[in-house]
Amino acid sequence: MADEVRITNADLIVDEGEKVQYIVIKLGNEQYGIDIKYIDNIIRMQSITRVPHVPNYIKGVINVRGEVIPVLNLRLKMGLDEIEDTKASRIIILKLEQFGLLGFIVDEVKEVVTLSEIQIEKVAYDGTDEKQNFVFGVGKTDTDLISLLDMNVVCAENGK
Amino acid sequence: MDVSQYLEIFLDETREHLSSLNTQILNLEQNPEDQDTINEIFRAAHSLKGMAGTMGFKRMQNLTHDMENVFSEIRNGAMKVSSNLIDILFQTLDALEEYTSNIQETADEGTNDNQNIIDMLNEFLNSKGETGGEEKPKKGKAKKAEKEAKEEAPAEEAPSGGASDEEKFRKIPIGETEEGVIAAAISEGKNVYGFTVYVNEACLLKAARAFLVYKAVEEKGEILLSDPSAQDIEDEKFDFDFSLIVISEHKIDDIINAAKAVSEIDKVVGAPLNASEAASQAKKEEDEEESKAPAAPAAEHKETAPAAAPAAQNAAKAAKTQGKPVVNRTVRVDIEKLDVLMNLVSELIIAKNSLVSASFTDGVSGASFNEQIEYLESVTTNLHESVMKVRMVPIESVVSKFPRMIRDLSKKLDKKMELYMSGEETELDRTVVDEIGDPLMHLLRNSADHGLESAEIRAQRGKPEVGSIFLDAYQDGNNVVIEVRDDGNGIDVEAVKNKAIERGVVTPEQAENMAEKDIINLLFNAGFSTAKVISDVSGRGVGLDVVKSKIEALSGEVEVHSKLGEGSTWTIRLPLTLAIIQALMVVVGGEKYAISLGSIQTIEDVSPDEIKLVQNEEVMTLRGNVIPIIRLDKELDTVSSKKPEDNLVVAVAKKGEKLAGFVVDELIGQQEIVIKSLGKYINKSKLISGATILGDGEIALILDANALI
Repeated sequence: MADEVRITNADLIVDEGEKVQYIVIKLGNEQYGIDIKYIDNIIRMQSITRVPHVPNYIKGVINVRGEVIPVLNLRLKMGLDEIEDTKASRIIILKLEQFGLLGFIVDEVKEVVTLSEIQIEKVAYDGTDEKQNFVFGVGKTDTDLISLLDMNVVCAENGK
Repeated sequence: MDVSQYLEIFLDETREHLSSLNTQILNLEQNPEDQDTINEIFRAAHSLKGMAGTMGFKRMQNLTHDMENVFSEIRNGAMKVSSNLIDILFQTLDALEEYTSNIQETADEGTNDNQNIIDMLNEFLNSKGETGGEEKPKKGKAKKAEKEAKEEAPAEEAPSGGASDEEKFRKIPIGETEEGVIAAAISEGKNVYGFTVYVNEACLLKAARAFLVYKAVEEKGEILLSDPSAQDIEDEKFDFDFSLIVISEHKIDDIINAAKAVSEIDKVVGAPLNASEAASQAKKEEDEEESKAPAAPAAEHKETAPAAAPAAQNAAKAAKTQGKPVVNRTVRVDIEKLDVLMNLVSELIIAKNSLVSASFTDGVSGASFNEQIEYLESVTTNLHESVMKVRMVPIESVVSKFPRMIRDLSKKLDKKMELYMSGEETELDRTVVDEIGDPLMHLLRNSADHGLESAEIRAQRGKPEVGSIFLDAYQDGNNVVIEVRDDGNGIDVEAVKNKAIERGVVTPEQAENMAEKDIINLLFNAGFSTAKVISDVSGRGVGLDVVKSKIEALSGEVEVHSKLGEGSTWTIRLPLTLAIIQALMVVVGGEKYAISLGSIQTIEDVSPDEIKLVQNEEVMTLRGNVIPIIRLDKELDTVSSKKPEDNLVVAVAKKGEKLAGFVVDELIGQQEIVIKSLGKYINKSKLISGATILGDGEIALILDANALI
């Protein structure tokens, strides 16, 4: 699954004139990029209805325009520590083929960047570091380094 | 060839034909001489063959072809129906059903040729039919070839014969604009042709064929006009021919050949049109309008003249037009569209609920406002009911296969039995009907295998030799009840108890204290599917626990009552709809939850010292019954906002015969709620069956009381 996704991403980069847009989010001091094609919506933090007996990174469900959407804490999902919500905290709602709509709590949503293929350095698959598996490449802009997240992999490890 | 867009129709119609074949063949077994039944079967087999052929399912086509052959002989009186044949036919149907389900899952029929069944059919033909020898399969082919030859023959003869009759394109009314376009095209040196395409009368997906012809012609030129219109053709609103006027740079033969290359097209006639002809045609249209009445019969006369075949075509047409109004009363609607409609109704109910709650919080009041709210409420409720009714289908589609199954079982188990069904017209939500087949089948198999005794034992007990199984369905308030009943042995409680102990489902001590009912209910326990139970008949690895979980997944419940020596009754109770329910809203640990009102019996105010401990579990006494207490705050991983010395609010819920008391912090009230799924990502929470959006936009989770009791 994961490999397939990587291939499609690579294809996309070539197909779309070598350029793909990413939403840049922050978790702590690190910046992560999410392919803009998955983004359904970005909303401010709102009250989340807790669901009992689910893994700790599933924070519950929210109501977005009449849809009940599960919300995950991206920090916890990626093995980071949970922090208090701040004014900058957002819920990014992604639409994934496999899971439908899913919300992710992130520390901050920064900007949209356009990266061309040559700006992305592929990360070799390394089975040891779990966090590393979520990242399929590192994008370099003039000022920053952005870890590009493969959201299908991030979500796929359900049940942990 | 792209026929995928017709796959749905194909599957639907195939199912209908198969189900009708099932019924008819059963009927045939009772009345082997009944000519109507034989004709009906022949027709269904023929239609199936045609459809499978059109869709390119060769194996399915072959099998139905042989089946059709057999019936063609029977119909001609050359052979008689025997019980052996009935068996072969049922096997054929099974094989066809397998193809159908393969096609549904993979859009491919699979690779099973079912050669053995084909052989059996042919053998039957050879042994009883007038023709002998091994030529039979070849004869089938020869027949086909002959048929094709026949089909081609008129095409060759036609042009010499009544060419003008066939060039129906000359009757296409040409408007002024089109006339201008034609003139312009001709002046540009392009050709204008008229075509009339005749589709094979046996063709079942005419629209698909026409579509392919359209595509083929469009590659060669521009279709200026068509009669009937493209939309009508797409909707299959044409008989067996349609006419086109085409502007093209290609030669006329090129286009005719392109159109002919599409299968099941009998012939294509065409001729170039020149400007004056087009103009005259335009004029003719005007004339025709004036003298339409006489023109039409004249055309019909011409058609009947050349040969008998067109006459037959007319007869078929007549039959079709007569039958049409009846067919058109119903509309096939994609279930997804109904889901969308249902969702919209749900949204409306949520919006209404918000309005009601806003009127309370914002203090809007006044008689007229309340009146309008009440009016809105009655409209949404009616709307909900109407949409719900649209989604309802009779359970007949599921249960109609059971008589056949019981017949098979009767042979296999060597027991005589009869199935009596009632209430097949009872309606349930389509999604429920789709799911209910397997559990019902299992219960019937169970009754046939374990319930009914062998003929000798039945004779000893003074029962009729033929065992009876009953399947009764009826509506009961907001529920539909389906009962499977047999007059067999009933459940041997001692045997169940012993087996349960042996399986380690209960300890011997527990078993001693259990009521008879509870012991029978052990049958539904997952650990109870014993090797002995999973026989070829009642098994397939599905135990009663699966029946139970399936029915509970549909928010239903299943119960069994049994009397040793007299028989058992399995009762399935299902809600009419799954999308919108009446719920009791409660608060636990500051969070709102909804519990289906259907399962709530009473609400009790209980003082803490009425709670007793039995075997380390909390219970209370309610009107003489000892019922277990379930503290929802603990089950839901939260902390009650109440102090230990406060009185408890207990919602007493019932599941089958069992009662349990749920301790909640607070009651909010009764509300109509719309059930929403928690999404694919959260599916492991057994306690929570879904969520609902409250009037203020907040989400409340729906507690599955059944999972807790």
